[in-house]
Order: sequence, then structure tokens, then C-alpha cells
Amino acid sequence: MFPGATDEHGAGDAAGQTADSVDANFVVVGAPLDVSTTFQPGTRFGPRRIRTFSEPFDDYDYRTDQHFSNLGVVDHGDVHAWNDVSAYLEWLKGTLRDAVWDDAIPLVLGGEHTVSLAGVRAVEPEVFVCLDAHLDLYDAYDGNELSHAAVTRRILEDVDSVEEVVILGARTGSELEWERADADDVTIVSPETVAEPSFTVSDVVDLEGRSAYLSVDIDAADPGYAPGTGTTEPFGLEPREMREIVRAVAPHASGFDVVEVNDRDDGQAASLAGKLLREFVFSAASSQ
Amino acid sequence: MAKQQTEVRDLQEGSYVMIDDAACKINGYSTAKPGKHGSAKARVEAKGVFDGKKRSLSQPVDAKIWVPIIERKQGQVVSVDGNDMQVMDLETYETITMRIPEDKDVSPDEDIEYLEMEDQRKIV
Repeated sequence: MFPGATDEHGAGDAAGQTADSVDANFVVVGAPLDVSTTFQPGTRFGPRRIRTFSEPFDDYDYRTDQHFSNLGVVDHGDVHAWNDVSAYLEWLKGTLRDAVWDDAIPLVLGGEHTVSLAGVRAVEPEVFVCLDAHLDLYDAYDGNELSHAAVTRRILEDVDSVEEVVILGARTGSELEWERADADDVTIVSPETVAEPSFTVSDVVDLEGRSAYLSVDIDAADPGYAPGTGTTEPFGLEPREMREIVRAVAPHASGFDVVEVNDRDDGQAASLAGKLLREFVFSAASSQ
Repeated sequence: MAKQQTEVRDLQEGSYVMIDDAACKINGYSTAKPGKHGSAKARVEAKGVFDGKKRSLSQPVDAKIWVPIIERKQGQVVSVDGNDMQVMDLETYETITMRIPEDKDVSPDEDIEYLEMEDQRKIV
């Protein structure tokens, strides 16, 4: 269970609460899909790692003067993954949609990036904001339209509500992906631009009055900070830059995920992922 | 209540099912592969026939579940009074009072089709 969350299945947490005793504002769902990872696998361990390496974090957040355990975060547990990705995404979408129907924000722990497709289908946002080293705009990778390298393209093409995609921290892609990124519905923001002191999210996307879904591919971070991911790409974002983006987008987001964490480091990637999830919750809760 | 029992595996999109004691029409049905020790599960997404509320359930495919028996009937509007209308059942000639849905415009002598389950009714 994510530290500070309540167990949806009623086992309770450190605060002695059960799911029945709180109204869920946020629902954590683990999605340990590990099928199309193209280099180093291990995202099947992502949700467990993120929960584990979030244990040392203090419950109290000084910036927003809130306790995480008071914010109505419920942990649904993992949705067991299997190899039929299309069927799995359909099932996962349903689980996340339950959270949406209950007026809660789903928080997905990946799992490979493909799971974002289920999150976006459940939430049906207007804008997909993504932190990612890669464009993920392949039409298909190795013939697989549901590859993690094609997830942003699928979201653009398959989810009718999505009008616009903004990818921050992207620094690599194939020639065809960059051509697709030239279209009006895609905005790419380089790590260098994000690093400029004057940069704000509102410089690149207008989120006022629009619903957003925020996806954090942990490989957006420089691999020096998050080596535990499948396809590391140097010259990435600083964790503090990622934190600023999460804080800025959270008040407009009705869905969140952090993906592509695996078990090939000493917990750096999972720790950063858990911290960014908490930043999302604190910022979203304090804006309500 | 008029209902019959079936297995979750026999449900399909477009058919009816009871969820939380409410008659619902299924608009989504997906199945999950069984885990190492679990049985296959099915997930049903449905909308209340009479209250329009979205509901879902996840059950093993071999679980028993109730399906409501909803009658589809023909009627004729006898009179309209504000938000209500008097409708004559064209089979039994019984006259009943029904609320006019906000998105419908009806007038006397008009033939309508409606769903009926016990004392709940809805125009198709």
C-alpha cells in the first residue's frame, strides 16, 4: 500500500482508517505491465518499488501545510497484468473509470508507459501533458501499435477528447516521430527550455478551463537521478524542474500516472516517482 | 421483482443486469485473464435504466447474477398535464401516469413505446 494511503480492501493503514471511513479523493492503482519494454525490462516491479521507496517520506508537507494521510488517498492495489495488452488496457481503464465516476482522481503507478492509454481513456481529458525523454510518437514499434514507444501517438489518435499533447523534456525520437511532432496538436519542450529560470508551464500550454491528464515517464529525468528505467537517455531534466511542472499542472489534472520505473537501480527512480506523486496530490488537494 | 438468474459469463453489451438493486443496461463488458490461482473475471459497466446512474461490477465469470425482466410496451398518450402525462396501455387499456422526460415532447393521441419493470417506467 502506498504510504499514507488507505487500503481500499479494508486492511487499514497506520492511521487506523479503512476505505469505508474516508471518501476517496485520489485512488492509487498499480499497473505492472511489462510487455513491450524495448531495452531493460523490469517495469513489472515498478508499483512495488514506488510504494517501498516512498516509505521514508514524512506525512506532513510544509509547503502546503497538509498531511498526506488526511487527503483521502485510497490504494486499490495492483491490477494484475497479462500479455494481451489490448484486453489488459480495457480492464485497467474500467478500474480507473470507477475512480472517475466516484469523483476521485486516479493515480497510476506503472508499469510501462502503455498504461497511460488506459488512464487517458478513463479520464477523457482535453490536454495530455507528459514528461518524457522520448516522443513516443511511433505509429507502431516493431509492428506493435500498443508498444510503449507508440503510446502518445495512440492517445492522440484514439482518444477523441484529447485536443493537444505537450511533451516536456523530450530529447530524442526517430525522424518520422519528429515529423509527426511538427503538427499543430503536439508541442515539444526541450530540457534546455524547461531549465530556463523564467520558464513556466503556462508559456507552452493554456490549461485554464481545460481538463488535463499528467503523465510522468521517469526517464524524463536525467539518468543520473533515475537510472532505474528501461531506456535511459542522457541530458535530461533535473528533479526540481520536474517537481515544478507537476505542481503547475496538478490543479488542472483529473488523472495522473508515473511510469517506466524498474528495479535496476538502488531506488533512485522509484523514490523520485513516489515523491512526484506526492507533490501531485499535495498540489491538487491544496488547489481545491 | 421480476428477474432471473444467470452467470456473469452470459452477460453481453446491450443486455440488462441488476447492480446495487437497480436495473441497468450494459454498455461495456471486458474480461480479465485469470491469475495463477484465481478464476477469470468479467467487468461490467452499465447505466441505470430508470435513474441513468453509471454503475460497474467485477465478478468471476462463473458467479451468479440477477437479470431484470423488463417489459417493452406500447401506449397512447391520453392527456398531458405539466410534466406528467396520462398513458393508456394499448394491450390492457389500463391508464397510468408517467413523468415526461425533459428531452421528450409528447402530445395527446401520440403512440409511444416504454419500458416497464414493476412500477418503474421509461419512454424509449
